[in-house]
Amino acid sequence: MIALYRPGASAIHRAPAGPKVLVFIAITLAITLSAHSAWMLPAAAVLVVAGYLIAGLGLGELAAQVVALRWLIVVMLVTQLVFLPALVALANTGRVVVVIALAALVTLTTRVPALLDATERTLAPLRRFGVNPAGVGLLLAMTITTIPVIAGLAGSIREAQRARGVPVRATTFVVPLLVLSLKHSDDLADALAARGVE
Amino acid sequence: MEHPEIVFDSVSVDFGGRTALRDVSVSLDQRRIGVIGSNGSGKSTFARMLNGLVLPSSGAVRVHGLDPARQSKLLRRRVGFIFSNPDVQIVMPTVAEDVAFSLRGRGFTAAEAGARVSAVLDRFGLTTHSEAPAHSLSGGQKQLLALCSILVGEPGLLVADEPTALLDAVNSRRIADHLLDELPQQLVLVTHDLRMAARCDVVLRFDAGRLVESGAPGDVVGRYEREHA
Ligand SMILES: Nc1ncnc2c1ncn2[C@@H]1O[C@H](COP(=O)(O)OP(=O)(O)OP(=O)(O)O)[C@@H](O)[C@H]1O
Ligand SMILES: [Mg+2]
Repeated sequence: MIALYRPGASAIHRAPAGPKVLVFIAITLAITLSAHSAWMLPAAAVLVVAGYLIAGLGLGELAAQVVALRWLIVVMLVTQLVFLPALVALANTGRVVVVIALAALVTLTTRVPALLDATERTLAPLRRFGVNPAGVGLLLAMTITTIPVIAGLAGSIREAQRARGVPVRATTFVVPLLVLSLKHSDDLADALAARGVE
Repeated sequence: MEHPEIVFDSVSVDFGGRTALRDVSVSLDQRRIGVIGSNGSGKSTFARMLNGLVLPSSGAVRVHGLDPARQSKLLRRRVGFIFSNPDVQIVMPTVAEDVAFSLRGRGFTAAEAGARVSAVLDRFGLTTHSEAPAHSLSGGQKQLLALCSILVGEPGLLVADEPTALLDAVNSRRIADHLLDELPQQLVLVTHDLRMAARCDVVLRFDAGRLVESGAPGDVVGRYEREHA
């Protein structure tokens, strides 16, 4: 769901991280606040498609990002269809997909340290409200960095279970993954402290 | 001897009723300090006290004149720490970014930081991987990366808690040679590899939370080997 940086030389790659994040926030707000407007969602969708094309990522990458969301999409649609008219449910789900695809566009075209700096700078004014900008930036950076690790953990759990003939079931998989992930985050916290992060 | 002192004065550590270290007193100024002992004897607890990851329940610790309880920020800039598992030490996505992370907030310009990063990557043979995703490296390369990320900050003391536990023979040897023979810094090396311990200048041996012996590596390692033969 959160994509890793792909090197590139497009205008979107070269745009400074701070404004990029701000534009992303602005578009997200526009999409969520204009729920009644009929043209906002299609316009945003066009924008996303254009963004992926300009960044040289292609529609294949966009499709891959959306396919990665398939279960989220199914769950959202099904739960909403119980209470809401089909068109509204579809539009709500569409908005979430567009926002996530945009977020992926940002992480696909921005290096993590740049994102970290931009987040710290952008949130600096919020420090007096008790927000720790460095902390939020680091959380964001580490989330992106840690995804391949967690994916690796999931892979090795599946492998070990297959070797011992454990049947595939959500519970037999999720519990060890959770335990390993928590252990990993514990160790990570130590390593961060050792590297001087408060 | 020429290195600043590490001093433990009657230090005990309790973890909720369980005593991990009991009344440890020692003062060390050698360059290479080996730490040995069986599982659960308190080695990691001792090591983690050197940068304030664990604080004493009673007694006092001084590392290069600093008090870990009150000066942890200063101390962590001075003390680099290497863990067994290189995976948990990676903070940024690519090799060069991870090394550069250690220099954040230290007042270097981008150019200065970049020069330091390339110098250290070059020294440990990782230059060709500098743009690679850190998690795509082999275990041995990851541990070298961890070493780079620490050394780039020029710590005065390096603490390594079983740094070769997850490595093969070739990579273990490489890391061991770097740590023991090539670095100018003071080193505290926790290890189950008695050959590595024997290459230190002094060896401490822990048993059930007590520091039972400290002295010349030949004596301490030799006795430990005979007792466990
Ligand atoms: N955070 C903790 N909470 C509770 N008990 C702990 C904690 N850390 C260590 N201990 C206990 O303290 C004792 C010493 O542990 P320590 O990790 O220092 O041993 P060690 O010599 O490093 O062992 P090993 O060779 O297995 O790494 C053990 O009994 C351990 O269970
Ligand atoms: Mg240990």
